[in-house]
Order: sequence, then structure tokens, then C-alpha cells
Amino acid sequence: MANHELSLAQPRPATGPDLAIVAGVQLGGAALLGAFLLGEKTAVVVALLAVMGAIFALLQLRPGLEERIVSAFRAQRRPALALGVGIVLAYPFFMQGSSYALHLLVIALLYSVLALALNFQLGSANIPNFATGASYGIGAYTSALLALNFGVSFWLTLPVAAVVATIFGFLLGFPSMRTRESYLALVTIAFGIVVHQLLNNFSWTGGPNGLVGIPAPTIFGHSFAQPIEVLGFRLPSQANFYYLSAALVALSILSAKRLHDSRVGLAWNALRADPLAARCQGIDVVWYKMLAFGVDAFLAAFAGTIYAFYVSYISPDNFTFLVSVTIMTMVIVGGMDNTLGVILGAFLLTLLPEKLRIFADYRLLFVGVIVILFLILRPQGLFPQRPRHYGGPQ
Amino acid sequence: MDALVAQHLLNWLVLGSIYTLVALGFSLLFGVLDVIHFSHGDVSMAAPFVALAVIQAVTVTLVPDGGTATLILAILAATLVVGLFGVLVDWLVIRRFRAAPAMMALVATVALGTVVRELIRTLYPQGSNPKPFPALTTEVLRLGEVAVPVFSLIVIFVSVATVAALFWLLNRTPVGLRIRAVAEDRAVARLMAIRPDRIFAITFFIASAIGAVGAVFFASHAGVVRFDFGVQLGLIGFSAAVIGGLGSMQGAILGSLLIAGVDTTVQMTIPDGASYRLVFIFALVILVLVLKPSGVLGKPVFEKV
Repeated sequence: MANHELSLAQPRPATGPDLAIVAGVQLGGAALLGAFLLGEKTAVVVALLAVMGAIFALLQLRPGLEERIVSAFRAQRRPALALGVGIVLAYPFFMQGSSYALHLLVIALLYSVLALALNFQLGSANIPNFATGASYGIGAYTSALLALNFGVSFWLTLPVAAVVATIFGFLLGFPSMRTRESYLALVTIAFGIVVHQLLNNFSWTGGPNGLVGIPAPTIFGHSFAQPIEVLGFRLPSQANFYYLSAALVALSILSAKRLHDSRVGLAWNALRADPLAARCQGIDVVWYKMLAFGVDAFLAAFAGTIYAFYVSYISPDNFTFLVSVTIMTMVIVGGMDNTLGVILGAFLLTLLPEKLRIFADYRLLFVGVIVILFLILRPQGLFPQRPRHYGGPQ
Repeated sequence: MDALVAQHLLNWLVLGSIYTLVALGFSLLFGVLDVIHFSHGDVSMAAPFVALAVIQAVTVTLVPDGGTATLILAILAATLVVGLFGVLVDWLVIRRFRAAPAMMALVATVALGTVVRELIRTLYPQGSNPKPFPALTTEVLRLGEVAVPVFSLIVIFVSVATVAALFWLLNRTPVGLRIRAVAEDRAVARLMAIRPDRIFAITFFIASAIGAVGAVFFASHAGVVRFDFGVQLGLIGFSAAVIGGLGSMQGAILGSLLIAGVDTTVQMTIPDGASYRLVFIFALVILVLVLKPSGVLGKPVFEKV
């Protein structure tokens, strides 16, 4: 461990400023998000958007700032993690019992999972996939059908739906053996449309009306449709699903990190850099491509299952081509192959249309314009991918 | 039965012609600019709305009942306006992604499609509702047992003429030579005193104007138009261009005829075929791409180091 000694020999940087930066960034971010979620007046929302814009302009103009924050987080990994978990756990208590704010959080978290799922493909391996929405739908429909027709419990449908979606994911990955780029993109688009149209036409999926009355899950006798009561606090029933989706996001982040650090992540990055060179290095290109499709579908199905049990009503229109495009936009706007960026992209693109409701009819127009401006002004995404860090001092 | 088959044959040719007009734009833009202009369908779908607006304006201000002459004027105006709109869209957005990775341009043009759709919806009065679109003509020719709508003949004739004009333009005129030169090699074309930017603008004009004609026919064929019709038309046009082989004009025609063939066959043979047509169309797309990864007439891609 020569490297380790080397780093010890250098004077240790003071931990005080690092801790202050970590706490400031995390608490500041949480406060900003909270204000944005609870803000109702047009002026407040616009002002908060301006603040966010200013922050990103600052990061754009002073790249050193971002480096400083990243190095602080790297130095104080454990306190940062502990504080982050604490904030996530305590967050619903600060939502003033607003079930709407919690609902937005649940949806944003589920989209974070979807965006992280797609990130394995688009971000790590640069494989286009416009069918994440379809995998999401397959997961949702599988679990909903199992629960409605056979009374299977939520906890059991979760893995079953994931397996079913993964099988479809591998099937979708099959054409990736030969097709590439735009052609592969079209295969995934076509797959998504076929799935959507079939869900829309089969009678056993409820046709365009979808499936209604999916029962709420229960755990240890506590139904997820009931509010949570802790220490005299009463959280709306959405809080149940908030914690569940937050746990799923945590699982996704963990698997993203483990995969990134494993041979699989390395192989995907090699694929992204140059598929031909990767093949010459002995990487089984086809297998890793199909694996990316499988992992994407697996995680998307989890999100789909939670969504189905959360809203208790699903219809094919929840899983259209445009949903897949939205997920793709989240990954690209957030920053490919950067976990935090992707989650931020998911939050931004979930909350923005909701909060822009104050612009009524023009909201989708605004979202489209903002996405285009983003792609022009900051093409690398909110947080660009970071170079791989192979241990040792930087 | 023969009459029915003839009817479906005619239907196939009409649909194939409409899809071809949209698919050509995708293929042309990809061939010249290496870009997938995903909002091409939405840009084209602006044409019926421009035409409707022109008809409104003419009937209110000039002649109360212009009839066919007004309609033709409106379509010509819409073609011109949408062609210029395509150039504007490129100048505002797409040109900024010339050097970016393909996926960025793809996502940007998807977002652009949303913007175009929403613009149509908010700018056109009551844009959320479907608008009836006047038929070019309702006359029907009777050939024995077969009823041939004159409209179908017009669509087929205009499409064939447009395709012929495009081929003539690309292969027999100085502009076409420049377009092909830029498609071949941008840098070398510049050395030959060709301005790529100007060629890109011309290409966008041609592609959007041809798409506009296709969209007007589509609206006239359906008898109705809504702001979001461009999504499906764009997807089908894109699919046709891809399974034919992106960048190949013949491929776009072939792909469109293939897709229109599946479309009409499914509607003819399968009960409740209308609701399953998209399933079969896109299943065909997947099948073709699995068998021929770069489209039927596309050049096979060789990986180079």
C-alpha cells in the first residue's frame, strides 16, 4: 500500500471546511427542494427557478467550485452519507403534511430509478434505448395482473415482475447483436410501440381503460394506504411509498456504484469508448450489451411495480413512447454516467412540468424550450461524467 | 372480390405515397447532414394548419367561396411556409448539434417536436381539438366495379411527380451536385467553393416542403387533423426511411411501400385490424432490422479502427 503511505505523508487537509461544505450543500439542496415543492405562488416558483439557474451558471463559470465540492464529499464520505440518509428519512416531516408535495417526491424518486436504470445503457455503454417506458409498463402490468387475478402479495410480485421484464429486456437486447446506433434506436422505439399497442388492445390487460383497484401493499399488518403516525407526527399515506421508493433509489445507487466499480462497468465503459477496440480486448460485446438491456429492464420493472401499487390504477397511456423519451432526456440533461446528475435530472424534469402548471397551457412548451436550451448551453449535462478514479491519492 | 382487392391496392398506393413524402425528408436529411431530424413529422404537420389558416383568411377577406382554387393556393402557401419553417428550425436549434454525438441531436429534436406541437396547439384557435380538413375533391371515377376516388389519383400523381422532381434535382442540376458533394464529404466540398451551410438550408427547405405535401395529403385523406398527428406520421416516416436504408432515396420509397403494404393488408385481412395495425407495422420494422441491420437498401457498415 505504497500509495496509502504517500497520502499519509502529506499534511492532512483540515476536515472542518470539508464538513461545512458537505453539510451546506446537502442542507441547502434539501431546503431549496423543499421550498420548490411547497411554493405555490408564481413569484416564489419563478424566483426559485432563478436561484437554481444562478447556481448552475456559477458552476458553469467557475469549474473550480465543483471540484472543491466533489473533493470535500470525497474526503468526508461517511459523514456525507450519514447526513444524506438522515435528510431523506426526516424529509416527509418537513412537508407540512402536504400529500401533494409527497406525491411529487414519490414520482420523482420513481423516475430517478428509471433514469438510473437507463443510465446503465445510455450513460455507461452508450446504447440508445427508447423502451425503458415499455419495461416500466411490463413490470407494472405483470405485478398488477398477479395481484388482481391471483391475489399475490406486493412483496412477491416485485421479484416476479422484475424477472418477467428482464426476460423481455434480453429479448429486446437480441437485435443489438447486429444493429447499431440509429438503427438500434429504432428497434427499441418499435418495441416500445408494440408493447404499448398490445397493452392497449388485449382484453385481459383491460384495454385502453387499464387495470383498476390494485390493492395497497401491507407490511407487518400496516397497510400502505394508512397514514404513518410516529411520535405524535402524522404523515400522509404517501409517506409509505416515499420511504419505499427512497429505498429503491438507494438500492439503485448502490447497484450503480457496485457495477461501475466491477468488471461489468469497466466493460461497458470500454464499449462506450470504442466497441471494436473492446472486442479486440476480449470483451464479449454482445453479452455486455444484452446485460445492459437486462439490468435496465430489471430496475425499471421495480419502479413499475411500485407505481402500480401506489396509484392503484394503470393504463397503457402511462407507458408511451413519450415516457421513454422523458426518461432519456432526464439522463442526458442530468449528465450521462453520473449517478447524482441523473437523479437531479429526474427530479428537475418531474417537478418542472408540475410547477410550471402556473403557466397553464404553455407548460409543455416551456419544458421543451428549457430542455433544448439546456442541451445547447450545457451539453455535458448538469453534472458531467467524472473520469474513473482507480484508488490511490488524486 | 376483385373489386375489393383493387380497392385495397389503390389504398396501398395512396398510403405508400403519403409515407414516401415524409420518409424522403428523413432520408435526405440523414444523408446530407448525418442528423436524425426527429421533429420532421411535427414540422410537416404544421402544413395542414397553415393551409387551414390561409383558407380562413382567403374566405373571410377575398372570396367567400373560393372552392378548389383556394385550396390549391392554401396548399402551395403551406408548402412554402413549412419549407421555410424547416430552415428556421435548423437555424435556431439543429445546427447547434452538428458536432454533437448523435444521441444529443436525437433528444434535442424530440424536444423540438414537443415545442412545434405545442406551438401549433397554442397558436391555432382551439388547437387542442381535431379540425376538419377539406377534401381536395370528392369526385369518384367508376372503372367497372371499382370506384376510384379522384383524390387517390391526385395523391399518387403528385407523389410520383415530386419524387421525380427530387431525383432530377439531385442528379441533374448544379444544386443537386452540390448537395451530393456535401453529403459525400463536407470538408472537401468546402474546398470546392461550396458553402455547406447554404446547402444545409436548401436541404432543410426541400425536405420540409416535401414533408408538408405529405402531411396535407395525410390530413385530407383522414378528413381531419389534430396538432399531435405529426408524432405517428413522423414515426412511420422515420421507420420507412430506416428499414429502407437511411440516406437512400430509393430505400425511403421501398420502405414506405413495405409499411403501407403491411398497413393495408392487416386492415383488410384481420378482424379488428385497425387497432392492431401499429403492432404489425412496428413488428415488421423490428424483423427487417434483425435480418438486415442497416435497412434493405442501406450500405452495410464496416467497422474501422
